[in-house]
Amino acid sequence: MAATRGIDRGRVTADAVDRAFSDDQAAFVRLQGKAGMDFFSDGLLKWQDIFRPLMGALGVKPHTLIRWFDTNTFFREPELVGKVPTVTNPDGVVAAASVPRPRVATLPSPYMFSRAAHTDHDRNRLMVDLAHRVLRPAIDAAVAGGAELIHLEDPWLGYFGIKPEDWAPLGEALGILHRDLKATLAFHVYFGDAGPHIAQLLSLPVDAIGVDLTETDVAELGSSWDKGLVAGIIDGRTSIVESLDNTVEVARHLADTVRPRNLYLTSNCELGYLPTVVAERKVLRLGEAARKARELVSV
Amino acid sequence: MTVELDHKPLLTHEVGSLDKPGWRVKAYASKPLDDKDLEEARAWGERLTVPDYQKLLDLLRHAPFSKEQKAEIQRWSSLYALRLEESAGLDVVYDGEQQRTEMYDWAVNHTNGFERRGSVRAFDNKYYSKAAVIGPISLREPFHNAEFSYLVSVADAELKVPVTGAYTIADWSFDERYDVDTDLREPAVDRRRARHAARRDFVLEVSRNLIRPNLQALIGVGARWIQVDEPGASTEADELDLFVDSFNASVEGLDATFSTHLCFSDYNLFFPAIERMSQCRQYAVGFANYDSRELGTSEKARPGYQVIKKFADLPYKPALGLGVLDIHSDFIESPELVRDRVLYAVKVFGDPKRIHVTPDCGLRTRSWTVAYEKLKNMTAGVELARKELGL
Repeated sequence: MAATRGIDRGRVTADAVDRAFSDDQAAFVRLQGKAGMDFFSDGLLKWQDIFRPLMGALGVKPHTLIRWFDTNTFFREPELVGKVPTVTNPDGVVAAASVPRPRVATLPSPYMFSRAAHTDHDRNRLMVDLAHRVLRPAIDAAVAGGAELIHLEDPWLGYFGIKPEDWAPLGEALGILHRDLKATLAFHVYFGDAGPHIAQLLSLPVDAIGVDLTETDVAELGSSWDKGLVAGIIDGRTSIVESLDNTVEVARHLADTVRPRNLYLTSNCELGYLPTVVAERKVLRLGEAARKARELVSV
Repeated sequence: MTVELDHKPLLTHEVGSLDKPGWRVKAYASKPLDDKDLEEARAWGERLTVPDYQKLLDLLRHAPFSKEQKAEIQRWSSLYALRLEESAGLDVVYDGEQQRTEMYDWAVNHTNGFERRGSVRAFDNKYYSKAAVIGPISLREPFHNAEFSYLVSVADAELKVPVTGAYTIADWSFDERYDVDTDLREPAVDRRRARHAARRDFVLEVSRNLIRPNLQALIGVGARWIQVDEPGASTEADELDLFVDSFNASVEGLDATFSTHLCFSDYNLFFPAIERMSQCRQYAVGFANYDSRELGTSEKARPGYQVIKKFADLPYKPALGLGVLDIHSDFIESPELVRDRVLYAVKVFGDPKRIHVTPDCGLRTRSWTVAYEKLKNMTAGVELARKELGL
């Protein structure tokens, strides 16, 4: 933080910033190892917002600052006017070699990307174009770089909802991303109640559906979940660390009642809304809860 | 009783923060100053004709600094910022919040009931610190009186005091007091209800026990125009009524002019809630960030300003502080671009006295060179608009 602030003001060199990023990433990797995470993330530490590396790959410098849903975080609106070019060099989305495998790669979902953009396109057409020209090349690069889980974030659907006629193009866009993919593809809805959308979500061509359990009633998840379930069980927006017992009980309930093909325990959203020290405690709690839940479920 | 604003048409003012000079930051943090810092202090002192600025240079050459010397350096920083704004031709000024750490941090650090938790990203490489509310909230000590009293003694132009509002303070804080027992097995609707009730208690306690007593203290030392900064106001679309209640609870019956600053939001969300906010006599709102950089005064030419009609139609007829400078870009708006944004707003409002001209927000993310050029062009653009309107 100090290094990036310093370089913005011309008081720190680029080398010093690179060293600071490497140190922070190494610390984050150690933390994930200590917590017993099954997939390692690079923490997107260099990403100034979820679209930025992709916009960089497109050669577009975004300008307008927009509030990120109901947070005090802002993103630069992706400007996608005219034909969307095909991304050929999405290096910015590939984790550094020092991040252990298996890795999780996080990317914006095509639905959110198409809705958050400033564009002159039909948004559903744009969604499919983005899947084909931007996200698929990025996913392929991430998989080639060791990602085994592709985590598509979609707070837009959770927060603003979706029109009935948008489901089909969303399915088409996700189909482009899922076809012949040698990794697990997860579509994670957060910042809103996924309950009303469960049936449609389960029909999407992805391997796992993610929900934000701070907003979604566990009872609405049903008992016939024929995909993986990415359960956002740790709140990425509160500073209180969740009770171990309660978190384990919820995980156990999901395993016993919802009975997904695979159960992935995670935070309900990115942990970037938390100070590092709080986020670290939550990652450790998540790992602790997963271990305990695994023991109980296997008994 | 809220005092009416009675200013000339197209009044110009800043919104809040300016960047802190390197010499001020380093001196306060007990870091060594180099020649570049001293040259910065000299060059701006000369450029802005800051009285006796050589005394600052002498002081900066004598590190390490005592606590009192650090406070003196902060006052110099305030004086420089004040002169920058006056020199740029602004009608109403303040000191770019040079004596505060940051708008949120400064407030909670003078308040009982909060504990620091750390920093999080706001955008790009900009971060802000967050605290958690952990106990009963009360004002530890008035936290703007000293800076205000100093500025009164040195300002030539009228002063407007920026004060962080209750809703924003609550929204930017973690809640470890009001809503603490969450069980994900409970129905989501019950959890949501509990969360909303807790938010209301939290926000209104900040209004009554922190903001209001601090405003009373400021009025007691002579503040006449206080701007309640609420960049967080529209964060939760379903809490606009709570934002309005918090503003009203903060200022009701107090003897000063109150305005509020809103930025980087979908401003449509504020309507109709702010129809109940009649004690707010001016809304300073950022628009330039959303606008085209092309010239023109037609509706089509000014896409960033479409919502201003709603402010014009408010029944209690507040002024609009029209944001005409994009504070997140080094692009220097030309006087002609400022002129056209102002002329469009006057056309919509039909009364130039209800239009004040401002940057979108505080300019603290820009260098002083960029901020100064932007502000000078803003006042030059207003002069062009005045001529065009025959004012």
